[in-house]
Amino acid sequence: MKQIQMTQNPSFSLISTKKIIQMSNVWTSYDSKNFALEGINLSIDRGTNYAIIGQSGSGKSTLLKLMNGMMIPSKGTIKIDYTSPDMNNKKFKKMMHTIGYIPQNLGLVKNITVLENTLLGALPRLTKIQSLFKKFPEHEIQEAKRILKLVGLTGKENRKAYLLSGGEKRRVAIARALMQKPTILLADEVVSELDNVTAHDIMNLIADAQKRMNLTAIMVHHDMQLALEYANRVAVITKGQKILEIGVEGETIVDFQTGDMSTEEIMEMYDVNSKQ
Amino acid sequence: MMLTPNNNIIIGIIIALLVVASYNVDANPIEFAEGLPNLAIVVEEMLLVEPKYIPTALWAMLETIQMAFIGTIIGFVIALPLSLLSARNLNSKYVYAPVRALLAAIRTFPSILWAILFVIMVGSGPFAGVLAIIMYTIGFVAKLQYEVIETIDSDPMDAVGSIGVSKWQLIRYVVIPESASHLLSQLLYMFDYNIRQSSILGLVGAGGIGFYIINYITFFEYGKVVVFMLVVLVTVLIIDWFSVKIRDKYIIKSQHGMEVTAK
Ligand SMILES: Nc1ncnc2c1ncn2[C@@H]1O[C@H](COP(=O)(O)OP(=O)(O)OP(=O)(O)O)[C@@H](O)[C@H]1O
Ligand SMILES: [Mg+2]
Repeated sequence: MKQIQMTQNPSFSLISTKKIIQMSNVWTSYDSKNFALEGINLSIDRGTNYAIIGQSGSGKSTLLKLMNGMMIPSKGTIKIDYTSPDMNNKKFKKMMHTIGYIPQNLGLVKNITVLENTLLGALPRLTKIQSLFKKFPEHEIQEAKRILKLVGLTGKENRKAYLLSGGEKRRVAIARALMQKPTILLADEVVSELDNVTAHDIMNLIADAQKRMNLTAIMVHHDMQLALEYANRVAVITKGQKILEIGVEGETIVDFQTGDMSTEEIMEMYDVNSKQ
Repeated sequence: MMLTPNNNIIIGIIIALLVVASYNVDANPIEFAEGLPNLAIVVEEMLLVEPKYIPTALWAMLETIQMAFIGTIIGFVIALPLSLLSARNLNSKYVYAPVRALLAAIRTFPSILWAILFVIMVGSGPFAGVLAIIMYTIGFVAKLQYEVIETIDSDPMDAVGSIGVSKWQLIRYVVIPESASHLLSQLLYMFDYNIRQSSILGLVGAGGIGFYIINYITFFEYGKVVVFMLVVLVTVLIIDWFSVKIRDKYIIKSQHGMEVTAK
C-alpha cells in the first residue's frame, strides 16, 4: 500500500482569479429523453489544471463537448471567457481557434502524415491563399517540428497517421492541440491506456505548457492518482451529476464540496491506493 | 435461400412477372430459333477477316480512348464540386436537395441519348461524343462521390471542426484526404467504363470506333467489322488489366489504411 504522492503543482502560482469557464445548472441530452448531464455547476479559474473523473458513461466526454461548443445545453448556461459556446456564434468561433480539444477517439486524419496532422492546428492562422494551396509558412512548419519533438515524435514526421501505434496517435493529437497555441486545453482520457512512464511524460509536458502559456487544462482522467498528482481541482461525476469537487494545494487536499460520499469512499471507489 | 412459404410466394410472383413481361416484349423462342441460320451467315462472313484494316481500326480506337480520356477528366473535375454540394454531412437540405435533383435528372439519360442530343447541337463527330461522356460522367461520378463523402469518418471532421476552421478548410484538409483513394478508384473505374461507352457512341455519329463499325454493318462488310470489334475487345481487356494493377498497387493499400481506426 502506497500513500498518495502529490507533486508540487507547477501552475499553481499562475492562477488568477479570473473565471474562464462557468457552468450553471447545465442539463443536456443526446436524445431528448435521457439526460447525459443533470444540473452541472462549475467554475474554473484561468490557469487551473482541472481534472474530471467518473465511471464509464457518467458524462465526462459530454461535459467537454459542451465546453467547446460541439454540444449545446438543453437547460442552463455556459460561459467560456464570458462567451456562450456555440459554433454559430462568430465570437465563439474565433475563440475555438485557441481551444485545443483532444477527443477520446483522437480524430486524426488517417491518410495524411504526422506533420500534416499537427499543422492542422495552425489552419486558423493561414491566409485564404495559403490554405487553398496547402502552403504553410516555414515558421509554422518549424513550430510543428518543435512540438513533435516535445511529444517525442521526431523522426516520425512523415509517417502516415494510420501506421502509428496507439500511444503515438495520442501524441499526434496532443501536438495538433498544442499547435493551436491554446488558452484552454480539453483532453479526454489522453493518457489512459498509456504506460506509466509515457503517461507522466505527457502530463509533465502539459504541465510545462501550462506554466509557459498560462493554459487552462480540463482533463478527463481514468485514474484518481494521476488526477491528484497534477490537478488543482478534481471533480467527480456520477450519472451526469457532479457529486464532489476537491481542491488540491501542494500535498494537501483543501476544500470539499458537500457530496453524498466521503473522500475515503471516493478513494476506495477509484481504488487509489492500489495503483502503481 | 430457404424455401419458406414466404419465399415461395416471392418466387411465384417473379415467375409470373417474367411470363407477363416476355409476352409484352414479344419474346418468341420460335422466332429466335428461325433466326439462327442468319447468325451462321454472319459468322461465316466474319471469318473472312480483312487484316489490312488493322491500322485504321487502331487509329479509330485511339480516337475513342482520347474521347473517353477527355470526357472522364473534365466530367470528374465538374463532378467533384457538385458532389461536395450534395453531401448531406456538409450541407443543409436547401443546398443538397436541388443539386441532387439536378444530378438525378442528368443520370436519367443514358450516354447514347446525350450523344444524339449533342450531335444535333454541334454536328456529328468526336466532339459530340466527348460532350456526351462528360454529361454521363458528371451524373454518375458525382453520385458515387457524395456517397463516399457521406461515409467518411466523422471523428476527424469533429476534431478539426472544433478548431473553428472554415468549411472550405474542412473540405480541403479532411474530406478530400479521407476520401481521396476512393475518388481515385472511381476515376479509374469511370475511365474504363467510358472507353466501352465511347466505342458505341459512334452508332449515332458521335465519333470513335463505333462509327466505323456501324458503317460496315450497314454495308454487310462483316470481315471488316470483326477487325474493329477485335480491336475493341483487346483494348478493353488491356485497360481492365491495367486498372486492376493500379488499384491493387496504390488504392487498395491506402483504403486498407483508412479502415484502421484510431482508438
Ligand atoms: N452520441 C451519442 N448519442 C447518444 N447518447 C450518447 C452519445 N454519446 C454519449 N451518449 C450517452 O451519454 C452518456 C454520457 O456519455 P459520455 O460519453 O459523456 O460518458 P463518459 O463519462 O465519457 O464515458 P467513458 O468513460 O466511457 O468515455 C452515456 O449514457 C452515453 O450512453
Ligand atoms: Mg468519455
